[in-house]
Amino acid sequence: MIHATKLTKSYKKTPAVRGIDLAVKQGEIFGLVGPDGAGKTTTIQLLTGILTPTSGTATVAGIDVINEPDRLGGKIGYMSEGFTLYGALSVDENLDFFADLYGVPLSIRKERKSQLLAFARLEEARNRRAEHLSGGMKKKLALACTLMYSPQILFLDEPTTGVDPVSRRDFWKILFEWMQNNEGLTIFVSTPYLDEAERFDRVALMHRGEFIAVDTPAALKKQLTGTMIDLKADPQFTALAHLKKTPGVSHVQVFGERLRLLLAENSTLNLDETLQKAGARVIDARPTTPTLEDVFVSSIEAATPDAANHTNGHPPLAAVEPITGEYAVTVENLTKRFGNFTAVNGISFTVRPGEIFGFLGPNGSGKTTTIRMLTGLLPATDGSGTVAGFDILRQQKHIKPHIGYMSQKFSLYNDLTVVENIDFYAGVYNVPRKIRGERKAWVLEMAGLRGKERTLTGSLSGGWKQRLALGCAILHQPQILFLDEPTSGVDPISRRAFWDLIFELSAQGVTIFITTHYMDEAEHCHTLGLLYYGDIIAMGAPAEVKQNMKAGEMVEIDVAHPLRAAGIVETLPAVHSAAPYGDKLHVMVWGRADEHIATLEKTLRAAELPPHHIKTIDFSLEDLFVIFIEMKEAGRRAREED
Amino acid sequence: MNRRFIAVLIKETREIWRDPYTLGMAIGLPFVMLLLFAYSTNLDVKNMSLAVFDQDKSALSRSYITQFTTDDTFYLKGYASSYDELNQWMENDTVDTALVIPPNFGQTLTARRPETVQIWVDGSFPPTANVAINYMQAFNARFNYAQLAAIVGERNLKPAIDVQPSVWFNPGLKSINYVVPGLYAVILLAFPPLLSALSIVKEKEQGSIQQVFVSPIRSAELILGKLIPYGVIAFIEMLVILAMGIWGFRVPFEGSIWLLLFAALIYVFGAVGIGLLVSTVTETQVAAMLAAIVLTMMPALIFSGFIYPIFNMPEIMQWYTYLFPARHFVDISRSIVLKGADLRTLWFQMSLMIAYVAAIFTIAALRFKKKVG
Repeated sequence: MIHATKLTKSYKKTPAVRGIDLAVKQGEIFGLVGPDGAGKTTTIQLLTGILTPTSGTATVAGIDVINEPDRLGGKIGYMSEGFTLYGALSVDENLDFFADLYGVPLSIRKERKSQLLAFARLEEARNRRAEHLSGGMKKKLALACTLMYSPQILFLDEPTTGVDPVSRRDFWKILFEWMQNNEGLTIFVSTPYLDEAERFDRVALMHRGEFIAVDTPAALKKQLTGTMIDLKADPQFTALAHLKKTPGVSHVQVFGERLRLLLAENSTLNLDETLQKAGARVIDARPTTPTLEDVFVSSIEAATPDAANHTNGHPPLAAVEPITGEYAVTVENLTKRFGNFTAVNGISFTVRPGEIFGFLGPNGSGKTTTIRMLTGLLPATDGSGTVAGFDILRQQKHIKPHIGYMSQKFSLYNDLTVVENIDFYAGVYNVPRKIRGERKAWVLEMAGLRGKERTLTGSLSGGWKQRLALGCAILHQPQILFLDEPTSGVDPISRRAFWDLIFELSAQGVTIFITTHYMDEAEHCHTLGLLYYGDIIAMGAPAEVKQNMKAGEMVEIDVAHPLRAAGIVETLPAVHSAAPYGDKLHVMVWGRADEHIATLEKTLRAAELPPHHIKTIDFSLEDLFVIFIEMKEAGRRAREED
Repeated sequence: MNRRFIAVLIKETREIWRDPYTLGMAIGLPFVMLLLFAYSTNLDVKNMSLAVFDQDKSALSRSYITQFTTDDTFYLKGYASSYDELNQWMENDTVDTALVIPPNFGQTLTARRPETVQIWVDGSFPPTANVAINYMQAFNARFNYAQLAAIVGERNLKPAIDVQPSVWFNPGLKSINYVVPGLYAVILLAFPPLLSALSIVKEKEQGSIQQVFVSPIRSAELILGKLIPYGVIAFIEMLVILAMGIWGFRVPFEGSIWLLLFAALIYVFGAVGIGLLVSTVTETQVAAMLAAIVLTMMPALIFSGFIYPIFNMPEIMQWYTYLFPARHFVDISRSIVLKGADLRTLWFQMSLMIAYVAAIFTIAALRFKKKVG
């Protein structure tokens, strides 16, 4: 359905897409995965005929989209990035507008509209203006608008970025339900989330305008040779430092209290022995499955050997005077209201010194508002809190010298050079003149920006900007660091390097308060708070949060036609939800999985879809998030009915 | 009718209707602008302050002074007692004009010798200064005749040649009658291009236009669907300010109102066409706003002949003014309102304007592609 050869697009002299080749079959879900600036949007705009390439050819549904884009009309659907609805129009009116635009016959319009509204669970909202819908509802409506005219090929540009997990899941559910009734729909979708990419039939990993790997998620994971190991060692920091230097070991990463590493194929390394020599002890080690991110990182490293270099190694961090007292941050019943809207709804938590505390939640859940209250940028409506032992309501001035803050989008001045940015922040934070030169040199070294001192910050790539921003935030050696979505849109290699730094800071005694909307990333944290529309719906160590989920379990089924199978098993009372994940089917069942596996197998056999393999798998944090939210919503409804 | 076009039309109308700011800006601001401009761009010379330094203080000097203050052109602000005081009054803007009567003014006149008086005029705004001097010379002439008549002993002494001015089209020489018809041109160019440019660029910024680009809609359908609602708004604006001109400011309306409305209709399409053109070259709302103001508001004020007469401009600038539609509409509007001109006299300006609007639309439509970037 989609073919492209040597497709290239350059803006002035900067290439955004460099000669990509592409072939997507009918009925396929093809995913484009990569960080901001990788060229995902440009690729989609080229394929939909609204952008003219510098060179190369592309056909979509048999039509030359470069020379005859007008012939495409009606065959393809396109959902551009961001919210693409008309806010002043109601849900109904938006659907009608797109139906009119594509000339959907009146005879089928009414039925299709009610079907889509039912899928999207927007029936009750049909007369509401689109601007008054939540982020997740807007995304679902946008999808319904594109499905309204039943296109053959659907182009979705980051449809789920920043959306809450329940809405994200709903989004895919709507699509799958639609596909069950309209077989043959081809989907071309881009996403920055590597965990989401597991849902797709095939995935192209995109980096700096190029496809560095294209295959099914399973095949991509097989490309990674060696064994992924999940390890718990004590002391962790010693083990980490040693493993990073050990030949045959790569991809060493910290996930809260555990380490993950890739052991090269045929390696004879004995982890127990080498770590013992280094003065650390293995508590627990077991093989685990690699993620797409592991694949992405090694593919980038293989494709661009220089990519890894500038992130490897940096000068040691200067020691920070640790916080005295039991807690670095305490919050009691903290509330923020803007008019009628409650952004943060009476949350309470504590953060120990040196801890990495993660706030996980979709856009609009109150993450940034909380950070602003803690850093003294925004007065709380109600409740109390302390940061570094000082009251957030009355002693804001005393808090500031102890904290570093890195806001969303990195808060650097793009029109200043690297050094000018550092100088500016050194001035703002009042870094003593004596040590200013030394700190500046350290930041440059740490960020890998030696030799780029006079480069305009705006022309740096995301990873560099991110490390520079972090450097600026810790110039004055703060004891508590607030990081607001520091890894948004950054490529996975830079993300890993960033987390390494965070972990080192934490080992030095710096307390880290970090927010993210990447579900997989949250596993790096010691403690996790799941935030949903102003409420903390779950809190604890990632492993703890997972273990405490007793309501159900997750089952992975290897079956010939996951989409059809999903529709069948979903009718079983024991099944909470089912969704295709690439060539597999993920089913969440109530209670213990063993009790239901036989039923699942029987049902699928009866439907002539015999499963090849069924096994229990771990919940992902996204799964958990969804369940917690549903439990919370159910509780709320029950209270309302009383 | 084509459903895609209708869909865009309805969508756009709904969006405008539900956005109180746009609607308020579209209908309310022209109203405010007309009020402000009509009152502030008053070119009439009235109630100018006059100081007198009477060094004679005789009966004749007093009677001379009263010549200046019999109507509402000048009012006597005060008597100065020295040159210094008079200097000070001129410098700190206490008075606009001054009259200096020399000592022995009465005696000199009685002795039938020629006498000279000084008039001082604040020349910082030349047009009013000129008018003030003319008035003062006229008052002086009147006094001269009275003196002459007394000497000759004939009460009804007449000059050999008398000038009898007959002012056409604006007999009261009221500048409001001149300003308001010109303002129609300025106001119609102030908001409609801006609003229509913003409506397209806003969708570019939000990204929603990409989805429309991908649909089977033709450029012409999209353009017309988006522009017609703004054209209608602009036409309503015209009706509002026209009604205000006629009933609010009592500007006499000599010509055919239908002809003016017909011309306004063409003009309005030119105005939204400029908006469309702006939207094809800008990517952000801020840029579109600046471009629209530079392309419409400023030339409409400066190069339309609304305030600054075009015949006074250097020849090159006179040609330059042809680039802006406001210049033609100012001509047409004034001719119809004040002179009662009809198509026989206006056909040339009208065809120029039609050609202009056609050109704008052609260029804009050629530039408007269903493409991003």
